[in-house]
Amino acid sequence: MIETVKAAESDSGGEEPVIRAEGLVKRYGPSTVVDNVRFEVRRGEIFGLLGPNGAGKTTTMEMIEGLRRPDAGVAIVAGYDTQKDLKKVRETIGVQLQSTSLFDLLKVKEILRMYASFYPMSVPIRPLLADMILEEKKNERVKHLSGGQRQRLAIALALVNDPQVVFLDEPTTGLDPQARRTLWDIILKLKARGKTIVLSTHYMEEAHVLCDRICLMDRGRVIALDTPDRLVRSLQSNNAVELRLPELEKLPPDDPNRRRAIETLKRVKEVKQVDVQKDVYVLYTDHLQATLTDWIATAEREGYAFSDLRTRTATLEDVFIHLTGRSLREG
Amino acid sequence: MKAYLQLTLAQLRLFARNRQVMFWSLLFPVFFMAMLGLFMGNGSGISLTGAILDEDNSPASRDLVKSLEMLGTVIEFKEQHDRDEAMEELKRGDRHIVVVIPKGYEDLIKGLESAAPMAGYMEFDPLPPIATVEAYYDETNMTASQLALSVLSQVVDGVSKQLAHYSPLVTVQASAVQSLHLKYIDFLVPGILAMMIMSTNLNGVAGQIASWRERGILRRMQSTTLNASTFIAAQITARLVMNGMQAFIVVLVGSLCFGTQVNGSWLLLSLFVVLGTLTFMSLGFIIASLARTPESAGPIAGFVSFPMLFLGGVFFPIKEMPVFLQHIVKLLPISHLTTAMRQVMNVGADLSTLWPEAALLGGWMIVAFAISSYTFKWE
Repeated sequence: MIETVKAAESDSGGEEPVIRAEGLVKRYGPSTVVDNVRFEVRRGEIFGLLGPNGAGKTTTMEMIEGLRRPDAGVAIVAGYDTQKDLKKVRETIGVQLQSTSLFDLLKVKEILRMYASFYPMSVPIRPLLADMILEEKKNERVKHLSGGQRQRLAIALALVNDPQVVFLDEPTTGLDPQARRTLWDIILKLKARGKTIVLSTHYMEEAHVLCDRICLMDRGRVIALDTPDRLVRSLQSNNAVELRLPELEKLPPDDPNRRRAIETLKRVKEVKQVDVQKDVYVLYTDHLQATLTDWIATAEREGYAFSDLRTRTATLEDVFIHLTGRSLREG
Repeated sequence: MKAYLQLTLAQLRLFARNRQVMFWSLLFPVFFMAMLGLFMGNGSGISLTGAILDEDNSPASRDLVKSLEMLGTVIEFKEQHDRDEAMEELKRGDRHIVVVIPKGYEDLIKGLESAAPMAGYMEFDPLPPIATVEAYYDETNMTASQLALSVLSQVVDGVSKQLAHYSPLVTVQASAVQSLHLKYIDFLVPGILAMMIMSTNLNGVAGQIASWRERGILRRMQSTTLNASTFIAAQITARLVMNGMQAFIVVLVGSLCFGTQVNGSWLLLSLFVVLGTLTFMSLGFIIASLARTPESAGPIAGFVSFPMLFLGGVFFPIKEMPVFLQHIVKLLPISHLTTAMRQVMNVGADLSTLWPEAALLGGWMIVAFAISSYTFKWE
């Protein structure tokens, strides 16, 4: 894990990064919600903060946006320190906050015009509405918009000042699959136009589809940072085999038989590593056929009764489970 | 400047599109004024009814009944013959007073009349019994009863003086200093104005700002280059426009439908609308900052404004309250606002008499503004 972080930093060289987070710390009472977070975001990339709820993604973003004061550390956006040149930072960035509600009784175009008026420089409203597929809704009141339309309006508001960097905090949470895909297209279009995007999410497939690089966070710390493919490859295997051993599920968690089963699974042909998540055993392998054949033979020979066997390609979820022992959904 | 105009416009749109705001801030005051104005607005404000039981049924008692019945507009007396029924009506509140002329009333008067010329000897002779009229009243309705009793004693006093051939040496000639013929509605309308200014600003600001904070609307604005001062300036402007319109409508309805008077300068009235708006807005901002949740902001604002509504001279003159309360009440900003509004509208007072009210209200405003800007937070 430490290796992946270093690798990511070493090849950032050359161009000056748009965002530099250096040792950001935020404490609330006795708990440290963000613990020494450091990363760099390059110009024009989609940078993902991926982690379960409570990993510190939002707090990290808000410290970079200048909405929260870090207890330690520095955040630099486009060359401006968020604690010293806050006004400059705010001119440079666009923000979509997690679960912001807007004025329900205002119309779409009225809200856009109002937010545009907050900045010294702003873009024309009409093309912005077209980009966000909101042209037909410009005279609707916000309360009549669907969830997806509201989210697109929130992103439109983040773009009124033509920002270099756009922060999107869980933009697709709570949306149906159709609305989520529409939003993905919009985000990729923004990238094509040269915007740098920092996006937080707890959906691994979203991170995989959208992000150039992903910062995996857990309990306030950065646990890995790399491109999605390299993160998955860090598992050293492309495939995952999941299975359950129902007979062992009745035994206490520290029963020696459970440990023996894991040892047996690790010895199956071509298995690179084994993760246990609750009662599901996940075997990572590059040679699916060899592993499956050998596992069935082993089970016959040693008398293991297994169920719920399935295979799939390894995902970011597996990376997270491998690094933390918990799934993204569990938090 | 652009942001200031847009925010002001947005706030005005929010007012105009929120049916609840429109109802409570425009229709309700007018409705309220109409209700109170119709029930209490005419003449003396209270109409009294009474019953007379003539148990003597003599020429003298008939005279008294007649003169009581002549009161007409002040107390409407009706003659009744069943004592129990009359008492029952009194208890039910249908009558404010029951007057009984007991048997032997005329005989006693006659006796006194013949005794009158010998008044000089009275100190030697035992005092002859005086004719009495019994009056029953309901002590749970003191205001009406007192009024009825004092009217009754005046009439009886008049009868008694007439019988005693008494001619007054000194009389009181009453004339109102203002001579403006003010009615209750004239008293009420400035009070309603003050009430509206308090509730739309104190309760309105507290509720709205606390809810915007909770819903992240303030945070979202904070993440732009918008200044807090621009935001607050726009809030103030929008609410001044709103209150100005409210005040105008209420005064207009008052004068068109009920003939309320505006004897003073509109400019001075506007000045107090502005002062009141700013003071109560600042108080609203303080409450919004103190409240932990938007749900608690409403009740806290209610807790602050409700007593002021009843104690601040909105509906009843402060002078009618117990003295110890008056001292407390005179510290409240609403009292100064109602007093000033009333003085301007009813009496046409100018700033030279109203400067203490303006100064006290201004003092409240400055202190509240200082505290509110110290406690204000975006999140």
